[in-house]
Amino acid sequence: MNAPEEKDPLDTLLREQNNYVDDGGFTARVMAALPPRRRRSWLQPIVLLGAAAIGAALAIRWLPWESLPPLDASALLSLDPKITMPWLSVLLVAASIAWAAVAAVQLDD
Amino acid sequence: MSVTDADLIARVLTREDQHAFAELVRRYQSPVRAFLARMTRGDMHLADDLAQETFVKAWRKLHTYRGSAQFSTWLFGIAFNEFRSVARQRKELALDEIEESQAGAAQPARESVSQLRLDLTDALKRLHSGERAAIVLCCQNGLTHEEAAQVLECPLGTVKTNVLRGKEKLKRWLAGYQDYERA
Repeated sequence: MNAPEEKDPLDTLLREQNNYVDDGGFTARVMAALPPRRRRSWLQPIVLLGAAAIGAALAIRWLPWESLPPLDASALLSLDPKITMPWLSVLLVAASIAWAAVAAVQLDD
Repeated sequence: MSVTDADLIARVLTREDQHAFAELVRRYQSPVRAFLARMTRGDMHLADDLAQETFVKAWRKLHTYRGSAQFSTWLFGIAFNEFRSVARQRKELALDEIEESQAGAAQPARESVSQLRLDLTDALKRLHSGERAAIVLCCQNGLTHEEAAQVLECPLGTVKTNVLRGKEKLKRWLAGYQDYERA
């Protein structure tokens, strides 16, 4: 809540100045300008979520999980491309799937 | 008993009831148009164009209104965004505060209350747009500082500072009125 400032004459003046604006045909003009309401489409989120699911399935099926080097902080920090590149690929795939899922949810808004 | 905003919104969303939306426009056209008239420094024609676009956007995006804030707060937010996008293109709207020397500071004592009200209108136009928006929302439309911060998409502290600074300037500019305290 704002601090009460009932005794401030400026507040009284400002409130008094907030006069009612007569409609004068404004509502009619707005109603005449309204476009047809767009119904929410469920197709786009479903397509995006489907694509994300297929991407996840393909990643699980085709990524060379067995040949991935062990996830070791010191090895990763060494910046050896043989260790970092496979994990970067996994990270990229995971980020793409997450992005698609988030975008699908946000399409509804 | 009058129909609540929530009932009208539900009717628009479920039945695309245009009469219900027209009732919402009738209820809120005055505060939205008055707010935009203040923000455009009295350009009523531009204010009405922006207000019309505000309600058209509200119609399109009504399903995104979650009901956590008051409907008027949500509308003011759309209206302020409309103003902001026009102000980016029109320099006269983006003008910051007008020099104090031009703003009638230290004017001689005057008596007329009607002149005081005219000068208050004029003084509001001369405020920095952030201060003007905060004062119009909080002091004229009764929004809390938190609601105004939501509308203006700025930190709560900025709104409080803008209200304080704006009011200090208005008081300084209107100090020449002898009957200011009694008006």
